[in-house]
Amino acid sequence: MTPEVAQILVDGIVTGLKFLGAGLAMVGTLGAGLGIGLLGSGAVQGIARNPDAAGAIQINMILAIAFGEAVAIYALVVAMLILFVG
Amino acid sequence: MTTTQPTKRRFGFHRWLIVALMVVSVFAVRAYAPIRPHVQVAPEPVAGPFQIPLLGEMYLTNTMIAMLIVDVIVLAIGLTVRRAVRRGEPVLRGLAGLMEVVIEALYNLVESTAGKSARRIFPWAATIIIVVLIANWSKLLPGFESIGWLHEAHGEVEGYPAQELFRIGDLSVSTIVQDGGQEAAGGHLYTVAPFVRGLATDLNFTVGLALVSVVVTQVIGLQSAGPGYLTKFFNFGRFRRMWTREQLGPFEAIFPFLDIFVGLLELVAEVAKIISFSFRLFGNLFAGAVLMIIIGTLVPVFIPSGVLLFELFVGVIQALVFGMLTMVFMTMATQLHGGGEEASHSGAH
Repeated sequence: MTPEVAQILVDGIVTGLKFLGAGLAMVGTLGAGLGIGLLGSGAVQGIARNPDAAGAIQINMILAIAFGEAVAIYALVVAMLILFVG
Repeated sequence: MTTTQPTKRRFGFHRWLIVALMVVSVFAVRAYAPIRPHVQVAPEPVAGPFQIPLLGEMYLTNTMIAMLIVDVIVLAIGLTVRRAVRRGEPVLRGLAGLMEVVIEALYNLVESTAGKSARRIFPWAATIIIVVLIANWSKLLPGFESIGWLHEAHGEVEGYPAQELFRIGDLSVSTIVQDGGQEAAGGHLYTVAPFVRGLATDLNFTVGLALVSVVVTQVIGLQSAGPGYLTKFFNFGRFRRMWTREQLGPFEAIFPFLDIFVGLLELVAEVAKIISFSFRLFGNLFAGAVLMIIIGTLVPVFIPSGVLLFELFVGVIQALVFGMLTMVFMTMATQLHGGGEEASHSGAH
């Protein structure tokens, strides 16, 4: 195996592992999705029981979703840093 | 509005316009196949380097230009509203009327959460919401993130041959094309460094905004609760009382240390706020830009419109979330200690 071929092989492995790492980082969105689903379910049940409170419930729901979504976004940022930086 | 309508459009004008644009886009995609641009987290320098005293070598990056554009838009809106208000009309029209509705809705939102301290919190929350909203929406304008200098590709960056479209005086306007064009311009390969890039796709902007939000939250807390606000972080009240006491129960010896620990956690929470604020906005908008690029190269016809619509929605939601979280944190800072004598309770939560 000449050094050039070895270099190409190493580059290919590194690229492949980068993609693998980015994919694995996105596993973190699992919990965020679950949490946002729970939030939506709870908010809809609350609105169904008390339609007058829909406005307040929606505002609080969006705030809480933003907190949950932030976790997914961290995973996304990590994945993008793996893919596009360095 | 209903009385004066000089040019009455035919029914369904917009529909035909959209169909025509779709047909044009099909041909445009045929003529110039979309190219996946180089995705880069750091903003691309447009001009420079400039020597600036105290700061050293600096580049004018494309996100700075976006910042200037956003500032100009916000200032123009502000001046328009001021002129309309100065004119003294009973009912504001046009842009000023729209801003009245927006500001009123935002003020009601802040007042429903913050109560009597709404007047102090409202300017910060509303400014953040409006600036982030305009930054997020201006990024969707055509020409953003697509027009810029052609740089010769080097390193790992994949380049494409350039093809001249037309000339304006001495300036040649070119586009990069897929391989297999007429000539490869002497084998030079280029990439595009756009003039303007979405403001929130730069971490510097989001971190700066988050710093402003968190620091002003502390200032507002100090203003409303006085120096007692700092007992949230450095709570030695019970520690001092334990020192003067002679008889100690088992819990009286533990709680003072718990108070100090809780204060440390609060300090960490403030730092975490900066990180979560900045990365939430940055992540959402940068992911949106990458999504646009990938969808635009995979399915260049029709689907990107749907993605653009989604981006419009994400822009509003993220602006609202940033402003509302700022508002909620500021409200919590004002309501922390009612009179100052509640300091002994604060370790209990």
